Amino acid sequence: MTDTVLQLQALSVSLPAHGGGRLVPVLDALDLQVRAGGMTALVGESGSGKTVAALAAMRLLPRGARTSGQVRFDGLDLLAQDERRMRRLRGRIGMVFQNPLSALNPSATVGAQVAEGYRLHENGSRAQARRRAVELLGEVGIPDPARRLDDYPHQFSGGQRQRVMIAAALACDPRVLIADEPTTGLDPLVARQILALLRRLQQSHRLGVLFITHDLSIVEAHADRLTVLYAGRAVEWGGAGRFFAAPRHPYSQALLAAVPRLGQAALQGIPGRLPDPLLLPPGCRFAPRCPHHRPPCDDGYPPALGDAVEAACCLFPLAPPVPARNMNVVHAPPAGAAARQDDAALLALERVTVRHPVIGARRRTAPALQEVSLTLHRGECLGIVGESGSGKSTLGRAILHMLRHDGRILLDGQPVADLPGPERRRARRRIQPVFQDPRESLNPRLRIGDALAEPLRLGGLFDRARLDREVAALLAKVGLDPSLAGRWPGQVSGGQAQRVAVARALAARPEIVVLDEPTSALDVSTQAMLLTLLRDLARSEHVAYVMISHDLAAVSWLADRIAVLKDGRVVEAADTATLLAHPRHAYSAALVATAPRVQDGAGQVAAGPVRLPSPPA
Amino acid sequence: MPDAGSVSGTGMRVRLPGLAALSGSGSLLAGIVLALLVLFLCFLVPLAWRADPYALNPLSPLSHPSRAFPLGTDELGRDNLARVMDAGRATLLVALPAAAVTFLAGLLYGLASGLGPRLLDAAMMRLLDAVLALPGLVVLIFFAAILRLSTPSLILLLGLISWPPLARLVRNETRAVRDRDFVQAAYQMGGGFFHVVTTHLLRVMAPVLAVNFTFLVGEMILLLSALSFLGLGVQPPQTSWGGLLEGALQLVALDPWWLVLPPGLLIFASLLSASLIGQGLLARQGRA
Amino acid sequence: MLRVVRARLGSAGLSLLILTLLAFVMSHLTPGGPAYSILGPAARPDTVAAINHEFGLDLPIWRQYLRWLWQLAHGRLGSSYLSNQPVGAMLLSYEANTILLQLVALTASLAIAFGLGLLHGVFHARRLGRLIGTVELGLFALPSFFVGTLLILWVSMGLGWLPAGGLEDLRLQHQTPGSILSHLALPAATITLFTVPALSRYLAQSVHEELGRDYVRSAAARGASPGRILFRHVLRNALRPVVTLLGLSLPTIFAGGIVTETVFSYPGLGWLLWQSAIGQDYPVLIGIVLVIGVLTVLGNLLADLVNGLLDPRTSYA
Repeated sequence: MTDTVLQLQALSVSLPAHGGGRLVPVLDALDLQVRAGGMTALVGESGSGKTVAALAAMRLLPRGARTSGQVRFDGLDLLAQDERRMRRLRGRIGMVFQNPLSALNPSATVGAQVAEGYRLHENGSRAQARRRAVELLGEVGIPDPARRLDDYPHQFSGGQRQRVMIAAALACDPRVLIADEPTTGLDPLVARQILALLRRLQQSHRLGVLFITHDLSIVEAHADRLTVLYAGRAVEWGGAGRFFAAPRHPYSQALLAAVPRLGQAALQGIPGRLPDPLLLPPGCRFAPRCPHHRPPCDDGYPPALGDAVEAACCLFPLAPPVPARNMNVVHAPPAGAAARQDDAALLALERVTVRHPVIGARRRTAPALQEVSLTLHRGECLGIVGESGSGKSTLGRAILHMLRHDGRILLDGQPVADLPGPERRRARRRIQPVFQDPRESLNPRLRIGDALAEPLRLGGLFDRARLDREVAALLAKVGLDPSLAGRWPGQVSGGQAQRVAVARALAARPEIVVLDEPTSALDVSTQAMLLTLLRDLARSEHVAYVMISHDLAAVSWLADRIAVLKDGRVVEAADTATLLAHPRHAYSAALVATAPRVQDGAGQVAAGPVRLPSPPA
Repeated sequence: MPDAGSVSGTGMRVRLPGLAALSGSGSLLAGIVLALLVLFLCFLVPLAWRADPYALNPLSPLSHPSRAFPLGTDELGRDNLARVMDAGRATLLVALPAAAVTFLAGLLYGLASGLGPRLLDAAMMRLLDAVLALPGLVVLIFFAAILRLSTPSLILLLGLISWPPLARLVRNETRAVRDRDFVQAAYQMGGGFFHVVTTHLLRVMAPVLAVNFTFLVGEMILLLSALSFLGLGVQPPQTSWGGLLEGALQLVALDPWWLVLPPGLLIFASLLSASLIGQGLLARQGRA
Repeated sequence: MLRVVRARLGSAGLSLLILTLLAFVMSHLTPGGPAYSILGPAARPDTVAAINHEFGLDLPIWRQYLRWLWQLAHGRLGSSYLSNQPVGAMLLSYEANTILLQLVALTASLAIAFGLGLLHGVFHARRLGRLIGTVELGLFALPSFFVGTLLILWVSMGLGWLPAGGLEDLRLQHQTPGSILSHLALPAATITLFTVPALSRYLAQSVHEELGRDYVRSAAARGASPGRILFRHVLRNALRPVVTLLGLSLPTIFAGGIVTETVFSYPGLGWLLWQSAIGQDYPVLIGIVLVIGVLTVLGNLLADLVNGLLDPRTSYA
């Protein structure tokens, strides 16, 4: 292709191991092209080497990294340039990172950072640079750019900061933009807007975009080419349309099946974990986790079946699976459908209002929650959906009685706040939390066995042998090996840690478990495993869930009913099926419209243009 | 107020003003060896070298190191080696308990402030600011001038002067840990105040506390030596390293290098070993 | 901004009040008292009574305290028990010497610590960084009274280069700049050696942490050179905690000066503090503590102000 603007050829990277010494191979012979005006997606879970690939292309790897292969840009091999020339070239390849707040210098004005590349490479005057910065900020959709030029990053919202980052990357009219997880951490609606912006720039500037992400659903509608990385190696590449319609590598298929979508009947995670980069399997790196694994897979890394344009590195590529085509959103059997006969609400919130005490602020802030009324029945799963700042986590904490609130929270008809001390403690044990970040929810200095024994001890069980038995049973219940009891939380994967957190919540024999974004810190494959586990546990343990998330698809997969939260108020609450089919509130409709859904088989995706009820972030 | 004990912006974890430069295990080992050497000299060598640190030898004042007097003698002919060891015991037997007092005071104050209701916390922090508003040595000199210091009161005074920085650190750590999810979960599963403090707070803070205790020991040795050097700490006839240095300074015109170097180098070695151990601990934690 | 000032003044005022009160109570609970310090232990009781009366020491303790506070409010700190000079005037003359010494020492410390800390931070885990770190650690463990004594022993006595002390008054006519400098050199060097390691290590840590932040990578991705990244982006952020530390430790640096001034018999506030502590000269002692308290407040305020300028996120609205 003549209009290829960036090409990686057999790019391999080794990084020095933590603590020095050995080099660890993290990326192996990656080939990839970005075309002018096109978007190439590089998809992989954490540890796949996707960020390393981007940093290697820009020559921004930490000291001691070893790189081989070629990065061709504008007729040059970037890996062969000296540092001075490379600095000049960097202006012509824009780069956008995850987490725009930390990627922007907190003590420099937005204008200075946007114009920095221009000042460095175009030798413009200060006035010219300012004009250019205004122009760029306007182009990425910052309202009133001339006035905001001298503001600092903390004065912008998350989505706006990412726009600022994009503006800074565009300063020297680059031909390529490398975007490393630019939408991770942003609310889904804001993420869609950022993608729409990238698409617009792609067309207006004939910009080639390399979009790096762990989230297949976000690139589904936008990428035209796609490469999937697993454990440092590309396992499949090709046109995005073909890929989404008929993925051929078992890993690609598994990854696609793991993304929760509206109307999905079954969700499949990928058991097992990423191989240690120092102990890679001899053959296909996915073989140990592959459901279609056969002996020849272990003989050597499978060759690419296909060419540089379309290929899968698998000896036994698969026919596309028959997708579950439930276009009419036939909802999967609700987790607690059988248990719902019970009429009396297990938990009832009556006009609950929470105000965060603001230290030193004179201005009265709007309450984080306003008159929220909800009910939860025995064995039911109630989903709470909203963007960050909508008050959904506050709601979770209020249910856990961790916050002072107005209004009443009734457990079995009794206001918990009015109970005397010991009884209130007992009542609190009936509601247990699972938090977002599994690393934060386990004490790093407590072995996993001790962490699981903690609720048992507090429940009055002290016998060592019985404790050990119970802990082993709990681990088994969440699908973990009992030997994990002797490990520290830092020694297990995020997915395992989150399972431990679930087991600990169950150890107190609760009737309600509050799941606060339980999957959003996890990789896609692990996320699906956890969701499946949660659904199974709802049945076997007879617990009711309150599941809080920004991810409507994940919530809808588990929840019987969903409440949509916006600005501290419940704007809509309905049965899951009803809400997905006929959202009444404009905001819910926007959420439903942007959520990933099951495809109709031809690779077309139902996420159309989005009209938002809220002002652009 | 920005606090020297925490790095804001990283969010959850409060870190020490890190000294994680030197490689960890090496400096830890060096520090421990040095500490053992100092302790050996002060507490075990006297069992073999039984010279009386207070016995006068009018015939050999200010003699250079020799076989009879390995570290020479002072202006009254007293055996310098015996005096240095005696001074070391006096210094360490005040500084170590003082470090323990400081540590306990800081820990309890910090825990109370960090876990207490907001009003109590604010009041306690205000009081702490007030105590911190003056440098420790100035306050120490002030009180040492007013009070007649016996060994116990010296320990108490040193301890009561130096706790505020540790208290603030413990308070900030406590606040940070208190809001972490696993503590919330512990409360939710019926854990009480005592359970949370012992199972979670102290356990999580233990590494930070260990590092700070070693730094405190160094600080106490320094403070006590400075105070004794100024004639306000350990009172004669009892010797101390600071006191020995002060005595040597009086004779400086006579070039008594053998009186200056031993106490000075021993203070240096003690301080260095405390820094090395603290730093080694820090580096190891950073790796874990 | 005003709120910060008020909080600082409040806590400093509170601490000074507590301290002076304690001082008063305790100085009167201890037997003997200044009369015996002045007259010696064999003083006749009627002479003691006369002295006590002259200084108002026979009044009830709370009245003495109020009287002293009242005088303080009018700018009178009383007069020294030992020299009978007004405390205010004494403080001023000694303070001038201390400020001169500290200015020289602080300028040297900052210059050295800045260079050392920057290098240490940039070459953090590499050989140069480790070397600097080891040097810092060693300096850290050297007490100023040991360094001072060694300097006198080797430089003044051994080599005979610089005077070991005995500066009388800077404002005397016969003091030439050269003589003043020669008197300043050793004490300033001692204070510098004491101040540099902590400052440079703190700066190094801060620089190292900032260099690991994401915005550094963004700037590099825009094609900024390492020098530009360090001086235009990192330094401003890295200096913030250092400025705070500096503000907080100004009084401690000063306190480090107490020992040094005593070693070199340098006629500054620290030396005066020592003299009055040995002689139990309460008016002078309390006066000095007051001055140091005020210095502390000023140091902290200055640090807050500079940080406000460095960090756009703090707004003193």
